[in-house]
Amino acid sequence: MWKWKRKGKQKSSKQQPSNQQSTKQSDTIPKFIQVMSNSEDFVTYTLSGRTKCTISYIKTMCDSKILNRSVLTTLNDNHLHTLHDMQEKIPVEDIQITKDLDVIKEKVMVGYIMLQVRDAKEEVLLIPAVSLEAREVSVPEVEFSVVGPKEAFVETLNTNINLIRKRLPLPQLNIKEMNIGKVTKTRVAIVYIDGIANQDNVDTVTQRLEDIEIDQVTDSSFITQVIADNSNSPFPQLLDTERPDRVTSNLIEGKVAILVDGSPHALTCPTTVVEFFGASDDYFLPWHLATAFRLIRLFAVIFSVLSTPLYVAVLTYHHEMIPAELMATIVSSRSDIPFPPILEVIVLELTIELLREAGARLPTKIGQTIGIVGGIVIGTAAVDAGLTSNVLLIIVALSALASFTTPVYQIGNTIRLIRFPFIIGAQLWGLIGISMCMVFYIGHLIKLQSIGRPFFEPLYPLRLKDLKDSFIRLPFNKQTERPVLMRTGDPQRMNSSRVNAKRDIDE
Amino acid sequence: MNKINNSQGLQIPEKYLVTPAYVFFLVNSMQVGVGILGFEKYLVEKAGFDAWVSILIAGGILHVVLWMIYRLLQKGGGDIVHIHKLVFGKYIGGFLSLLFCAYFTLLAFTVLITFIEVIKVWVFPGLQSWIFGFVLLLLVYYLVSGGFRVITGVCLISVLIGLPILLLKFFPVQAGHTMTIYPVLSHDITEILSASKQSVLSFLGLEFLLIYYPFIKNPKKSKKWAHFAVFYTTMIYLISLLVTFVYYSEEQLKQVVWGTISAWKIVEFPFIERFEFVGIAMWLYVVLPNICLGLWGATRIPKRVFNIKQKYLVIIFCIGFYIPLGFIEGRPVIDAINTFSGQAGFYIILYIPVLLALKIISDKVRKRHEK
Repeated sequence: MWKWKRKGKQKSSKQQPSNQQSTKQSDTIPKFIQVMSNSEDFVTYTLSGRTKCTISYIKTMCDSKILNRSVLTTLNDNHLHTLHDMQEKIPVEDIQITKDLDVIKEKVMVGYIMLQVRDAKEEVLLIPAVSLEAREVSVPEVEFSVVGPKEAFVETLNTNINLIRKRLPLPQLNIKEMNIGKVTKTRVAIVYIDGIANQDNVDTVTQRLEDIEIDQVTDSSFITQVIADNSNSPFPQLLDTERPDRVTSNLIEGKVAILVDGSPHALTCPTTVVEFFGASDDYFLPWHLATAFRLIRLFAVIFSVLSTPLYVAVLTYHHEMIPAELMATIVSSRSDIPFPPILEVIVLELTIELLREAGARLPTKIGQTIGIVGGIVIGTAAVDAGLTSNVLLIIVALSALASFTTPVYQIGNTIRLIRFPFIIGAQLWGLIGISMCMVFYIGHLIKLQSIGRPFFEPLYPLRLKDLKDSFIRLPFNKQTERPVLMRTGDPQRMNSSRVNAKRDIDE
Repeated sequence: MNKINNSQGLQIPEKYLVTPAYVFFLVNSMQVGVGILGFEKYLVEKAGFDAWVSILIAGGILHVVLWMIYRLLQKGGGDIVHIHKLVFGKYIGGFLSLLFCAYFTLLAFTVLITFIEVIKVWVFPGLQSWIFGFVLLLLVYYLVSGGFRVITGVCLISVLIGLPILLLKFFPVQAGHTMTIYPVLSHDITEILSASKQSVLSFLGLEFLLIYYPFIKNPKKSKKWAHFAVFYTTMIYLISLLVTFVYYSEEQLKQVVWGTISAWKIVEFPFIERFEFVGIAMWLYVVLPNICLGLWGATRIPKRVFNIKQKYLVIIFCIGFYIPLGFIEGRPVIDAINTFSGQAGFYIILYIPVLLALKIISDKVRKRHEK
């Protein structure tokens, strides 16, 4: 899949475009300053107090507190002649002296202060004074849970890594960083626990990330789409989550996480289709309750996808299947409807999709109004006007409701979409058409892979051990091993004999 | 095993292999096909209500055949193409392998047209087989192009989905009379044996082991799974047969073409009646592995013999399946094709002991020469 990309790209060519630009425009520091001076927020001036030097920085990227309190005061209070003196005196961490123009440019662009003295024109001093505007860590909104931790990722990579690290105080927690995106040069981090995560998985992810050719990475979903095994599939092949606790437990299972600067979502892989239907709530509840809720969710998803196609199939071709008493109800509700079932269903499904799109794009307060207007007013009016039947309205509303039970937003979108082929199949060949669609999707899921691991996993390849935490969730003492899917180097989660040690009565 | 595979250029990369337990699903799903929907009539015509004994005999015979197949494969290493080459040489061996290819093609095609016939008879009398066949073959192509692992997955799903359908047998039993089975063994041995031959035909599907054997990881361990599968299939057929015996009278059963589907008609739930529609729709899952594995096996043989890319062969075979679809119509034609492929399968099963014997003889001769 990546062959054509690799072919067109020699090792050096990655750097070429920026190098060419640099040779043309600014291959020396003065030229760089000159190019930068075109922007109003770039400031450069010469200090003529006790210390004589030139300070340059981008006003909008620098923290003025560091500049005023630490840098300028030190420079004005002391006689400092060389860059090394300054490096020692200025009370800021990680100050560096460099000649490398690429480093200088990169650092100044993210908010470092550049100091030059007259004696050493080539060398500069770089003082980190990056000011980061960041959102506070807040409550997860997409994957809300009633019990359990209420922290969600934010848009800064450092904060996100901090959220993970404080849950996993392990020296083995490895973080590899790279910059992706020709223009945006976004920081992307691969997080995994060394010794638990399979090295092949880590290598696959690293290699795929390194091979990415893209100009911008504004969100983690760009990464999902680009490194997916099959980018034409409607199913997301990396799980994205905004919950640090979920990422942590995935890391402990042996998965690899990808964090992108500027995105409040982490991606974990390899993943399976079943995992998209598990919520973090499932682990905060007793196992039987969690199992029941998972099964309800699974049923909801099946219902959401199949209910309207079944309505079309049965009412168009197989009326005989409905018992006489039930038929009376359906006939009386449909008697005034001028449309065939397929048209009725498509119109109503599209209406629901419309409401959903509108609701998602509008501010929360107006969104609620739209929901009420759409759901109640239009629905009732459509039934009164004889455009749709009551029964179908109930089915469509229920299936829309059911599709919201998916804990991961991305798979919810998939479920919204995949019902339409089923509806078409139902219109063509009734139940057999639905079956054919189903076979197609099952075949597709069997074919799919998530970074080279089977996506349909506990079902095919059938691994009974992994079924313990899929459609059902067994208690923790039954899950003493990590999932087989991860091929982890250390499959034992805990000592199972100690976990399951039996005590006698009164001991 | 691996060493032998190496020497014959038959080593399949590990990521395409399946674990031994999947042989259960592969064998079982291939054995249970469209045949089970209407096999009762043919047995009852031969041996009346003693046909259940025939099923048991046929099951026993199949265990022996299976043992022979494993013997053959373990001795020869690799697949049928390789064994043919060893025993008969390049040209005759290649020709015999192509006969197998023709047989697999015929089997897949029979299943395809019989399923379309079932749909025409039971669900859509006016079905346009041109369009339906086209979509179905597209689906088959999509699955087969995924390779053996995907086909194995479809087999697994088909067996899992087939399970709940079996439970539906409960309804006819409720409505039936167990006394109709008695008296036991009122037919003579020749009648029972001829019914056994008839039932061997519905058990066909084992032979595919001859071609997918190299795809099994630790093939020796798969032996028990294959035997389990044959046993399970025998039980499914036996139960189906007994249930229809309980439900129909002997004379009526001779008139019923699709005994199992007719028995589905009485299944009733508060929200659903006439279960045969659901049953036939679900049967697609049972039928598809047959077509897919048949097509895969049929295209794999020419690939092995002539070294042609299987991709193109699958497309060519799909087109080959598609063209006659519109012309084949009516019960008599389809019945004839079914009988013919059944006969072919019977000879294939007869051929396996012969091949095993030849293989043993040729091995001995070779050893003597080496000395």
